[in-house]
Amino acid sequence: MLTLSARFILGGVFIYASFDKILHPEAFAEAVYNYQILPDKLINLTAIVLPCLELVLGIFLIINFWMPGAVVMCNLLLMTFIGALLFNMARGLNINCGCFSTTAVESSMNVLTVLRDASFLAISGYLLYAIFFYRK
Amino acid sequence: MIVTGHERESNSQIISNPADSTAKDLCKNLRSITPMYIGLKIRKRAMAKSRSIQENNVTTGKVIHFQAVWQVGALLALSILLALSINQLRSDRLPLMGDWSIKARLTTPGGDRLDISFEEAEKLFMEKSALFIDARSMDEYLKGHILGARSLSWHDVDRRFIEVTEDIPPDTLIITYCEGANCELSCDLALFLLDMGFSNVRVLLDGWSEWNKGRLPVEKGNTVS
Repeated sequence: MLTLSARFILGGVFIYASFDKILHPEAFAEAVYNYQILPDKLINLTAIVLPCLELVLGIFLIINFWMPGAVVMCNLLLMTFIGALLFNMARGLNINCGCFSTTAVESSMNVLTVLRDASFLAISGYLLYAIFFYRK
Repeated sequence: MIVTGHERESNSQIISNPADSTAKDLCKNLRSITPMYIGLKIRKRAMAKSRSIQENNVTTGKVIHFQAVWQVGALLALSILLALSINQLRSDRLPLMGDWSIKARLTTPGGDRLDISFEEAEKLFMEKSALFIDARSMDEYLKGHILGARSLSWHDVDRRFIEVTEDIPPDTLIITYCEGANCELSCDLALFLLDMGFSNVRVLLDGWSEWNKGRLPVEKGNTVS
């Protein structure tokens, strides 16, 4: 039951997050650029592929398909996101998160953004535990 | 435990004279300790069972790790394929490798370039027809800046934008600059000023270094806010 809700919450979050980015690849590329982490050559590729990865991952989590892979991927992605946020907060870069919306309407990232991502990671970590370590 | 007379007899035989015990007696004795054998067998069987469960779990563990690895790969491949096809199908497709260099970012969609040459900037400075804005930090500005330039550090732009620009007419020719060939502060500031409604903004790339190289007038301290 707990696993089911965790799958649906995470799946929903990933699908919701992917929509705006798939609709506005250019704006999302700008957001990726603003993070100033990736080399210029990889920015567009990331902006094209990442939203689709989130969409596919979200769907797989909900339909319970390829769970071991999906859950590992989910954890990896969330850790990357949190890492990127913390890295830029540490160096004082004031940029938009680009997490759920590509427009500037979304407020720039702060501790709450990190906490939000961390709570997703907690759910995702629980799924990882449930699938890999808690078997009867 | 009920001990039959027969058993008692055979037991006493062993105790009384073990060396004389025949093979027949031994068989009888073995029969008497059969319950121990059965117990041992049951225990052996249980141990074997639990070992097989453990082995089974280890195999499931290996299988699930293997599954995770190939599924992560497959997920990536699937997403990349899907993403590339979606990108190929849409009208506003992104080039797979965008040009994110400063010069490309300083080209407006209309094809106009925002950066100006040093000579052009020098000419505008001499004519006093342009307002220079320093995008570096306040500290660097205080140590030295282009004569007459204002300071609007890109990092403080949210806080100081209105204070610095409220008396500038929107059609004023503004030239932003910072230091270093890869310095993007002036670009970011220029794009921001354009967004804010200033129609005539230019960028002097690596402005501070160029200015010093050209030995053009500079000043120190906070003479103009």
